[in-house]
Amino acid sequence: MTRALDGLNVLDLSWVVAGPLIGRALADFGARVVRVESSRRIETARLMQPFHGGKPGVENSALYGNCNAGKLGLTVNLKTEAGRGVVRDLARWADVVIESFSPGQMAKWGLDYAALSRDNPSLIMLSTSIAGQTGPWSALAGYGNVGASLSGFQHLVGWEDRLPLGPFGPYTDYLGPRLALVVLLAALEDRRRTGRGRYIDVAQVEAGVFFLSPQVAHYGFDGTVAQRRGNRDDVFAPHGVYPCQAEDGKERFVAIAARNNAEWRRLAETMGRSDLADRADLRTAEQRRARADFLDEQIAQWTKTRRAADVEQCLQAVGVPAHRSASSADFAADPQLAHRGHLVRLPHPIHGQTTVEGPRYLLSDTPGEVTRPAPTLGQDNEYVLRDILGYSEERIAQLTEDGVLV
Amino acid sequence: MLEHLRVLDLTDERGLLCGRLLADLGADVVQLEPLTGSSARSAPPTAHGGAGPSMFWETFAANKRGIALDLDSDEGVATARELAGRADIMITSLPEAWLRERGLDPDALRAAHPHLITTVISAFGWTGPKSGYADCDLVVWAAGGPLDPHRDEERPPLRISVPQAFLHASADAAAGSLIALHARATTGRGQLVDVSAQASLGTATLARVLSHDVGDPQPEWHRQPTAGKDQSGSGAATPNRLKKWRCADGMVELHLSMGPASGEFTNRLFAWLHSENAVSDRIAAWDWTTLPQRIADGEITEADLAEARAAVADFLATLTKRQVLDAAMKHRLLCMAIFDVADIAASPHLDERGYWAQVDIDGVPVRIPGTLAHVSGDAQPRVRRRAPRLGEHTAEVLADWLTAQEVSV
Repeated sequence: MTRALDGLNVLDLSWVVAGPLIGRALADFGARVVRVESSRRIETARLMQPFHGGKPGVENSALYGNCNAGKLGLTVNLKTEAGRGVVRDLARWADVVIESFSPGQMAKWGLDYAALSRDNPSLIMLSTSIAGQTGPWSALAGYGNVGASLSGFQHLVGWEDRLPLGPFGPYTDYLGPRLALVVLLAALEDRRRTGRGRYIDVAQVEAGVFFLSPQVAHYGFDGTVAQRRGNRDDVFAPHGVYPCQAEDGKERFVAIAARNNAEWRRLAETMGRSDLADRADLRTAEQRRARADFLDEQIAQWTKTRRAADVEQCLQAVGVPAHRSASSADFAADPQLAHRGHLVRLPHPIHGQTTVEGPRYLLSDTPGEVTRPAPTLGQDNEYVLRDILGYSEERIAQLTEDGVLV
Repeated sequence: MLEHLRVLDLTDERGLLCGRLLADLGADVVQLEPLTGSSARSAPPTAHGGAGPSMFWETFAANKRGIALDLDSDEGVATARELAGRADIMITSLPEAWLRERGLDPDALRAAHPHLITTVISAFGWTGPKSGYADCDLVVWAAGGPLDPHRDEERPPLRISVPQAFLHASADAAAGSLIALHARATTGRGQLVDVSAQASLGTATLARVLSHDVGDPQPEWHRQPTAGKDQSGSGAATPNRLKKWRCADGMVELHLSMGPASGEFTNRLFAWLHSENAVSDRIAAWDWTTLPQRIADGEITEADLAEARAAVADFLATLTKRQVLDAAMKHRLLCMAIFDVADIAASPHLDERGYWAQVDIDGVPVRIPGTLAHVSGDAQPRVRRRAPRLGEHTAEVLADWLTAQEVSV
């Protein structure tokens, strides 16, 4: 079977989430990706939940597993000249280099684009960072929660009567790599036709603001500053997340919305509340938005004695948008995700089996495929040095003895 | 970089962003609308309480040309099908039944034009048991995973106050389309790219959607958070009120993270406070990378932690958002001013990096994000034109495209 990115070689020097997700997508579609990391300074994702069996451990993180499945793993000490030499050799082999060190660090190591492209002029190199490689904020450290604060998302999640809550986790870590991947694939298309290399500088803050383009434009147009508003919507009403019957001692919730007046009537009738469906002061979305607190109470009264799955099914049966607030157990059992083969179970050298998400888009002719779980530390040192770089056994032994491959 | 590509864009608000991304990278993207206009033209946020232009349309349809056809007439549909034959990629997020009635569905178009890449963006997927589900941003957010763990203490789970789910899917659709384009260079054939917003959102959960499958029975957001448990640096387990601090002109986000992953950031924070005489020597001497163990051993108490927090609160209250940001950079802290869109618009950093594009919205010059990424050489992604008025480029596009050859691979 043809794989879309067959023959593409990628050197992945990135870490945590935003960088590694880019190479992960390339690996899904056939690229050969060598992920370089340190076994001494353990990368943060390996220390983060969820863990296999709930047990912390550098080989147990499903987050690391999800960001790095399909890649070959090489451990190198970049603080040594010999280690940087290995990376230089890999950069000559690579079509693409991805890195996410603090801006300026690669140049200090002599591994910046100017240096690496001298020997490989058609190299495409992508750097991803919080605020970008240049500009007054380029020194910013941190994860995507810093990006979420500076791009406006922290301000835009929360209840109106409480402090802003911010999005779940380091939100711009989920946005940066999506835009980065599109730009990188465009650069590869251009390179296929012209042979040209490129340097690409991706900033999580900029990606975050991009995903708020309408709100930023609104401010520029008439000074409107978007605010947090719980689960309310600009247009749809009702629109909320409602409590259901607890299951196995856990609170459960269901999301419900009415996108138009007909859906509102069907929702009210399904609730057995034709009195609400008929009320003249609830006919339009504007009227319902004005009485949102009242409506939320009425809906919660109805949902709280029902199972979230039952509410979802009976509302969807009449074409009203509804879905249980999916837990990870729901996600694993979701028939739609199963239909798409979204969760991929793979044999794992330590855990017996592990699970990762599959490709996020299904290609009918050249589908993505996860061929192996994320590497254990140093799992492919031999293979990468001997088979990809053609190092001799003696040279590999010397590097090992000198403590370079850690 | 994509100047050689023609993209026929048949999306509504659920897929509008996808074509914008390809257009910024150089592709000739033509938004095809019915004579009544796309529903995305009224997608929120809209100005003047709904009477003014849609900011969603004005930003995410920017850089496209627009063509309007009577898609309820045989002639209009025939023209649309002919345009699809001249395109490299057709993107749609319209309902399957509507497309099938008109022979504009992926099956029909690919049968007529084997080179064509057809990309479909939907809430749950093009096929499958939930493909017919009624959807909206909130419902997809609930189905895809990021809603459930996200709670402010006892209240129900919370979404982001502006719709995001289909933006994730639309960006994924652009990537999927370009991967299909790479495949076409080898196979000579187009294919179907099927994007599900639900599946796109799994990556917006920090892998929490996998916790059940890998047997992490007590992932941190199901636990009652307690001091000392948050070691991730993302602060997912820390109650919100412990992560938000008032400063002189607004709010600051700061986790006193501890443990090996990010305790160093907190060490640097207290070193800074100490240098400003804002914390006692005793607390300044703590090593936050090993603090969880000392708390577990009872060596450091809740009262000690409260004293440390009070020192931070008193100090931050004297500083502005700008000073906090400067200090975060100088001392390498995980400490950040919480910006709203007014702060973003005033950012000297984004200005200096040439981030903004300017477009005309209803006669007002407005700055919009114009930089997906910074690309070397002559390939900088950029905005070349404002969003099209309805049918603005109909004659021009018909002349350009229909005189062009069908794409041959």
